[in-house]
Amino acid sequence: MEETPAIKLSGITKWYGSVQAVCSVNLDIRQGEFFSLLGPSGCGKTTTLRVIAGLESPTAGRVYLEGEDVTDVPPYRRNVNTVFQDYALFPHMTVEENIYFPLRMRKISRVEARPMIQEALALVNMSGFEKRYPHQLSGGQRQRIALARALVNRPKALLLDEPLGALDFKLRVAMQKVLKDIQRNVRITFVYVTHDQTEAITMSDRICVMKDGLIHQVGTSEEIYNSPSSIFVAGFIGDMNFMEGVVTERHGDEVVVDVNGFIIRSGRPMGNFVVGEKVMVCVRPEKICAQDVCNLEDMQRFDNRFQAVITRIVFRGNDYEITVGLGEASMRLIESASDFKGENEGDSLYVGFLKEDVLLYPLQAEEEKTHEQLD
Amino acid sequence: MKRTGTFSFLRTYSVLVYFFLYFPLLVVFLYSLNASRSTVRFEGLTLAWYSRLFHNPALLEALFNSLKVSAVAVSFAVVVGTTGALFLNRVEFKGKALFRSLSMLPIILPGIIVGLSLLVFFINLRLQLSLWTVMLGHMTFTTPVVMFQVLARLQRLSRNLENAAMDLGAKPHQAFLYVTLPMIKRAIVGGALLAFTMSFDEIIITFFLIGTTNTLPVYLYGMLRFGLSPEVYAISTIVLGFSLLLILFMARYTGTGEEIYGKR
Amino acid sequence: MNSSIENTCPGPKKSWNRALLQGLPIFMWMLLLILVPLAIMFVTSFFVKEGVQVVHRLTLRNYLEFFTNPIYLPIFFRTIFLALSVSLTALLLAYPLAFFISRKVTRFRSQLYMMVIVPLWISYLVRIVAWRTILGRVGVLNSLLLALGLIREPLPFLIYSPFAVYLTLIHIALPFVFISVFSSLEKIPSNLLDATSDLGANSFQTFRHVILPLSMPGVVSGFTLAFVIALGDYIIPQQLGGLNGLMFGNLIVSQFGYAFNWPLGAALGFIMFAVAVAILFFSQKLGSSEGFLE
Repeated sequence: MEETPAIKLSGITKWYGSVQAVCSVNLDIRQGEFFSLLGPSGCGKTTTLRVIAGLESPTAGRVYLEGEDVTDVPPYRRNVNTVFQDYALFPHMTVEENIYFPLRMRKISRVEARPMIQEALALVNMSGFEKRYPHQLSGGQRQRIALARALVNRPKALLLDEPLGALDFKLRVAMQKVLKDIQRNVRITFVYVTHDQTEAITMSDRICVMKDGLIHQVGTSEEIYNSPSSIFVAGFIGDMNFMEGVVTERHGDEVVVDVNGFIIRSGRPMGNFVVGEKVMVCVRPEKICAQDVCNLEDMQRFDNRFQAVITRIVFRGNDYEITVGLGEASMRLIESASDFKGENEGDSLYVGFLKEDVLLYPLQAEEEKTHEQLD
Repeated sequence: MKRTGTFSFLRTYSVLVYFFLYFPLLVVFLYSLNASRSTVRFEGLTLAWYSRLFHNPALLEALFNSLKVSAVAVSFAVVVGTTGALFLNRVEFKGKALFRSLSMLPIILPGIIVGLSLLVFFINLRLQLSLWTVMLGHMTFTTPVVMFQVLARLQRLSRNLENAAMDLGAKPHQAFLYVTLPMIKRAIVGGALLAFTMSFDEIIITFFLIGTTNTLPVYLYGMLRFGLSPEVYAISTIVLGFSLLLILFMARYTGTGEEIYGKR
Repeated sequence: MNSSIENTCPGPKKSWNRALLQGLPIFMWMLLLILVPLAIMFVTSFFVKEGVQVVHRLTLRNYLEFFTNPIYLPIFFRTIFLALSVSLTALLLAYPLAFFISRKVTRFRSQLYMMVIVPLWISYLVRIVAWRTILGRVGVLNSLLLALGLIREPLPFLIYSPFAVYLTLIHIALPFVFISVFSSLEKIPSNLLDATSDLGANSFQTFRHVILPLSMPGVVSGFTLAFVIALGDYIIPQQLGGLNGLMFGNLIVSQFGYAFNWPLGAALGFIMFAVAVAILFFSQKLGSSEGFLE
């Protein structure tokens, strides 16, 4: 028997007046997983979260918590809690009073609540801050208090709306670790909204990529990174080379594409293509090997091999990003600093990659635009 | 140095403007202490005029009426203005900007137009003029005073606070009582004090709607028709002191009265 | 694998917003105490009084009366002129003060600010009492000038004249103008001024090319506020204006006194309303196009 999902969304659609925020979203979020909703701003991820919390009621569709239909249950009767982007700590209450608030709403006496508050504070490493007011805390500290407040009731799921968005880079990285540790500790389902793909990839058990109110893909970090389901996901997660081409041949799973006269073989066509169709060819820069790293024998393995001219070299600390021209198109590849042999712009370079690392997507007018925006 | 020249010029200019603002008030205060019945010559200090006021039943009645009008108008403003502010802060609707501008009208339009339109309205309704019609008149301007004070405060608060409260298990009325209300309390009190000060002194609208009774300003106005007298100065000084007290208290409590007039 | 993502979901639903219920009190307030009275005043302005009866037949006679009877137009223009003079003078007094407190003073800033604001809330009648005392024939100013030997006779134009009205109205309008100007001066970022002087502008040039243009929204709204205050007042002219100092507001009020011609009063009131709304609207347009820093 399959496990009941912690949260199930079925056909969730939300309109704000005549603006569509979310469209027919279906999701199963498993018990105890760290689940991220990832997408650019305005993609509907926050609306989805607020629908789960009960702060928005969907125009259509149902919400289930542990199998129970809660679509019409108000937020204060749903056993899920939210950490808001701006923390939403009550400014007129101390840290202790803030954390006591959800307990007080459950009519738990102050005396009974004390150990629970202590435990929540210890969980986020903030013991000793009971009497402070929110304005006396730093951003990271407020973040932790908001977390403690949301966790003190032991909700079935914790919803986090870009909780690290307001923090600077170093603090953000530190807090990512704190969040992950807490989640391992308490074993509560986390639903995490973010627009930061690195954050989503490093923290999540599974990710749901959204755009314009639609789900593009749901899967583990590896699945999404290695087999993006659309051009948008391919470009949004990780680094990607995009080249337009035309299908010239098809042999079963292998499709041959002409990119400005360069022949590229793909073993991973994401769709059914016919000869003559325009397609988008995608290869991750780190999947491309240059002659500095791979000797000529290694090169023989690669289904795609080219002699290309270096048009640009950018030093990035650990590595070099090298751009080579492919007719009018170009391709970037990454070479570690230790392997770099000191070629110059204008030199020619032998490069190769496997056909399994070449993804093909149908080229539609709309998606062409998306691709341009991402550049 | 050129800069110091500008500075001392501005300083002198400013002192003169302050003098212009405060000299008249000082005059009223000094004249209220004048022992002479003549308002021209100064013949020593006395508090006699003040003690006389307390034995004047007509004056005391007018004062009592003023307090009644202000209390009712301000209570109305606190309830309607606060719910109005919560509504405007929370709900988006077509014509909201227009609605906000229209709500400002009773404060920025000349009082004569507010008084006149209400009088014509009441005449058409065949409503007898009384303290009640004055109260209605005062509600026109006390309500937006409270509303804009509270709205200004609400707009500086995160919308998520109330959501967070409900998310954490508070029913809507609990979220309001425990979270929203404590945060807007000062704005409500400040707005109410401001509205009270305005209502207590109001004459331009009151004059149209009063009928045969008196409020304190209307009583004072009636006295002025017989010329200036030591009693006039004594009443004026008391009113002056009362306003000052309220304003200073309000400034202490909420900051300044800048919000309502400073934000247009 | 199908890579095309389809947008197939139910359309928007019209739902009656329950929160609108919360708006009911404020809407009723707006409707019953502002909109309906103004509308009724407007409609009444097209009725006429015949004998002691108000005739409920629509006519433009009251408005024709305003344009043809030689009493009204001169007093109307006198009132506009007075209102303009009051606004301009109040601005000239308030601007340097606001500039001084906002830009030049470092100590006691908030105290100095409060000292200008406090008179805003001082009873209107008390100020009338004060100015009558100062400007009277045997008042403070005349007595002082006589004592100093500067004049032989009391100056007759000090009280019961447009001048007395003008001065008292300035006293009332000044704090309003001050607040408007001050808050727009405060909004000018100080790094902008540093940048200007860094580019070699002297303090007058900085004022002329940076501060003055950027404080224009405050100037416009302060000016408007003062104008509207002066436009509608009828008690100060009554108390200090004498016969030559009667203003448009007094004409309106007199229609509700012994004349009791309230249709005509409503028409005159509506004319004033139109002028006030026009200038408020105009200043808001002007202010918003100038307020690009906000």
